[in-house]
Amino acid sequence: MRTDVRFPARTSLAQILDILERDSDFLSQITHWERLPAKAPRYAPFPEWLDPRIARSLRARSIDALYSHQAAALEAAHARKHVVVVTPTASGKTLCYDLPVLDAIAKHPSARALYLFPTKALAQDQLAELERLSTEMAIELKTFTYDGDTPPQARAAIRSAGHVVITNPDMLHTGILPHHTKWVKLFENLQYVVLDELHTYRGVFGSNVANVLRRLRRICAFYGSHPIFILTSATIANPEELARRHVEDEVVVIDESGAPRGEKVVAFVQPPVVNAGLGIRRSALLVGRDIAATLLASGIQTIAFTRSRVQTELLLTYLRARFPQPQWPPELIRGYRGGYLPSERRAIERGLRDGSVRGVVSTNALELGIDIGALQAAVLVGYPGTVASTWQQIGRAGRREDLSVAFVVATSSPTDQYIVQHPEFVLGRSPEAGLVNPDNLHVLVEHLKCAAFELPFDRTERFGTEDTLGVLSYLDEHGILHESEGRYHWSDQAFPAEAMSLRTASNDNVVIIDTTDGRTRVIGEVDRFAAPVLVHEQAIYLHESKQFQVEKLDWENAKAYVREVKVDYYTDAGLAVRIRVLAEFASSTEKALRAHGEVLVSALATVYKKLTLYTHENVGWGKIHLPEQELQTTSFWLALPEAVTRTWPKERVEVAIAGLGNLLHALAPLFLMCDPHDLGLAVEVRSPHTSLPTIYLFDMTPGGVGFSERLFRSTEPLLQRAAEHLAGCPCAEGCPSCVGPAYALGAKVKATVVELLRQLA
Amino acid sequence: MTDLRARLDTLPLGRVARPVRDASVERGPAFDVREQHIDLATLGLSVVGQSEPDPRVVTHLGLKGASPSRWEDIVFLDTETTGLMGGTGTYVFLLGTARIRDGELVLRQHLLREIGAEAAFVRALREELAPFRACASYNGKCFDLPLLRTRFVMTLRSDLTVDDSHLDLLHPARRLWRDRYGSTSLRQLEDSVLDIVREDDIPGALIPERYFRWLALREPRLIEPILSHNARDIVSLVRITDRIAQAVIDARAGRAPDHAPAAFALAKAFARAGESDVAYLCYQSAYADADSDLRIRVALPYAAALEVRGHVERAAKMVDLLLELGLGTPRWRAQAEARVRRLSRIMAKRCAPSKTSATRPRRSAAGSSPALS
Repeated sequence: MRTDVRFPARTSLAQILDILERDSDFLSQITHWERLPAKAPRYAPFPEWLDPRIARSLRARSIDALYSHQAAALEAAHARKHVVVVTPTASGKTLCYDLPVLDAIAKHPSARALYLFPTKALAQDQLAELERLSTEMAIELKTFTYDGDTPPQARAAIRSAGHVVITNPDMLHTGILPHHTKWVKLFENLQYVVLDELHTYRGVFGSNVANVLRRLRRICAFYGSHPIFILTSATIANPEELARRHVEDEVVVIDESGAPRGEKVVAFVQPPVVNAGLGIRRSALLVGRDIAATLLASGIQTIAFTRSRVQTELLLTYLRARFPQPQWPPELIRGYRGGYLPSERRAIERGLRDGSVRGVVSTNALELGIDIGALQAAVLVGYPGTVASTWQQIGRAGRREDLSVAFVVATSSPTDQYIVQHPEFVLGRSPEAGLVNPDNLHVLVEHLKCAAFELPFDRTERFGTEDTLGVLSYLDEHGILHESEGRYHWSDQAFPAEAMSLRTASNDNVVIIDTTDGRTRVIGEVDRFAAPVLVHEQAIYLHESKQFQVEKLDWENAKAYVREVKVDYYTDAGLAVRIRVLAEFASSTEKALRAHGEVLVSALATVYKKLTLYTHENVGWGKIHLPEQELQTTSFWLALPEAVTRTWPKERVEVAIAGLGNLLHALAPLFLMCDPHDLGLAVEVRSPHTSLPTIYLFDMTPGGVGFSERLFRSTEPLLQRAAEHLAGCPCAEGCPSCVGPAYALGAKVKATVVELLRQLA
Repeated sequence: MTDLRARLDTLPLGRVARPVRDASVERGPAFDVREQHIDLATLGLSVVGQSEPDPRVVTHLGLKGASPSRWEDIVFLDTETTGLMGGTGTYVFLLGTARIRDGELVLRQHLLREIGAEAAFVRALREELAPFRACASYNGKCFDLPLLRTRFVMTLRSDLTVDDSHLDLLHPARRLWRDRYGSTSLRQLEDSVLDIVREDDIPGALIPERYFRWLALREPRLIEPILSHNARDIVSLVRITDRIAQAVIDARAGRAPDHAPAAFALAKAFARAGESDVAYLCYQSAYADADSDLRIRVALPYAAALEVRGHVERAAKMVDLLLELGLGTPRWRAQAEARVRRLSRIMAKRCAPSKTSATRPRRSAAGSSPALS
């Protein structure tokens, strides 16, 4: 597809789509072409109780009514009910919380609100919007962001005078709650807590945030306030469940959007196969570049999303090469990602809004709420990992009345391949659930310590569902709390919130330090459980597609020292994993034995092999001398029925469970909104627990965040999707996009797993 | 689900080995109050408690807020706490105060015996502090007072006003002594300034843990060292206050500190306070006794002070000499060269009066005091 030749500039999007739909070359790459019809708006009048200044200034903006979902949210909040708004990008979610808050402050200037956003950039954007609104409405309103960037001299004023404090959960955790006595005004008068982008509060982060909110409510109760929570979320399968886990109370769900939508085309793009045997396809980045270039050349304002910072820079370089100077100024297409200066980002956002920037290549940094106006086209290079993110990225293109288009370009990863062959997974009802486990004992106890630091615990108090008094008296016996007069007081010198990150499961990570050319730069972290496999001495560690060799692993101090190298091999460490089932929470024997429960995973790294790139020849090996790692967590397991495997030779069983294990491990994240490496895989030819060939998928977070229970409940759809995926995979014998490479597992791996899935169905 | 305690045993909790509570020991009252009287004459004070506090001196002691008119209105205080990090989980379990009364230093210590009875303890502290118009502390602005304030809010929902006027001696002590002694911890100053050596003193870092052991065992040998540590800290605070006040008074009387960095620090403080004559004397003394590194730092402000007094030539010569010796960083040298040029211009106008400058009033003539050299 040559862009500049075929399209004269300023072709309308409708014309371009017309041409593409008749281009057989192009169509051969398209697995699905969905036209979503335009939708008319549904309005509702301003509520009568709304402060007249608000209604007046909305009318001055030519807003004469609310969208139906906005009105519903306002009514719920006004009736003092917690509410979660689940509507698409650009449906006016912000007003769902800004209006109740403005109304409360207009009527009672002492009222306060707390806004929580997952990132600092979003907080900045909201600040500007709220200031604009309050100025127009002539409502005296002081809004501040309070985060790591807030200058110390400004903090005292924010604490006492800020009507709306905009912050993030991390700052609430370490900077606000442990110092609540400095925030008396806020906590005494807190009417609303806004939690935007609820779906991002899942997994480990979400489990931590749910506990931070428990602590917040505890402090509010101490100061006598009972705030209403207004939450917003992208579309997920379980918004109510997720909201209830965070609010721990009834939550009204509003999921019918009244906002209009223009016609939208969503196209799924499958890059052509280059090497059928190995299942290698043309790079998604190059395919994405061609599509984006076509659109840009026709004057269509386009956003391209990639999955990493490196890819963002690469794609930007490729695109700029297509539009060389001096005909095209380089500012025509910009990059956008974390690591850019805030002022630079603001300039790019402005350029997108006023149209001077015609194209932007971004990581998911632009996926969430930042105001860049609406573009006409989005190109997603790679499935973003969740359906929710996919829709948020797609939603970046599309004005309220006009036609827009989004292309989803698949890479060769198993999930991408599944999505591109089964677009209904994205287009249909969302199958993915935001999961949290606030009562994970590891997480709960850490937050209970923080909570005790903030306020002593009463014997009768409950914090989460665990036996709270049992935990309190245990901590008392171990000198962390001190019981006096029936209350449990913090009695340690440490500041518990400081040592604890909300974003990672354990603080016990091995830090990877690059020492190339005498520098000492931290380039990454791996959790200690995975460290023996990834950063043993002599291991080749890949970071941003560069090779590093581990020169020294300081196990005691959790530091791996690496140096950049250029070698033609990679390392692959053998891991002896043993699973001991400690408790079975639930099981079923329908078709096959499956269960979920608590397990102890022991892993011992034994030897590593050096394998050549591309040909995977063994060119050396070494022993690994590191202690066995233990992980107590929750697991889902699936045993192969005896009837199926009894007649099979042992080798065939081995191949079957390895292949099926890889396949399930690759596809399970589709249901869990997680990364593949959040989930561990172990297979046993004869499990001591089930006495059968068994596949374990376990939660890599100590104690688990709810993945195993969800897998147990969704085993059937998972197996069904696995079978569909395998049937659609064009490889002959097995490839990394499905059951794993045949060169490593044996030529019969794909056929064997197909047979196995047929029997299990 | 496996047993809760067994599961808790597997968590990395940062346990503290602490003795089991001795239930047989009588718990006693919620808190204790102790009082000691020390004859002021035995403390060797020359300013504090001797005459009425001079507001200009008190300002140099780090006062923020209105100046108290009597030493009796100032409460000297020091807390002991269950942690050093601050935040709502750090308890104040001991408040030591000292006041001047009838020729005596009256030392009072409130000790919390039951953390659960904190509210009664804090009420007592509120009464204790209520009569005072000002407080004096060592690093109390950043540590003791915010912590006390937190306890007041948490237990009584009330604020604290005793630090509306607050003498925090840490900052003036730093100015005077940091360069000389490196550290300006109270312990260091006792040793270097007051010539007191503390024996068998409990290190501050051990105090929180010792207190919790005492709560469990109630053995006097655990708490007594903390009480005497706190008492000594307060007495030292009073004496250090006196030394700093004396240094300020001496400088004003023309006796700048003989230690050059201290003289320089005082000079800057006086300059900020607008007492330019005293500042000038301190700069002079600092420059005379300084080594070459310090001279570089003193030279330009000293030159400015000289210039204001009309000693333009001396100022120029001094800076020029340092430049000739090749001292200073490039940035300093650039500033110094600019200064010399400016001073030379002023001199040129003075020495060879031209048509214009003869009639123009000289700005530097305002400070035409007699040359001091």
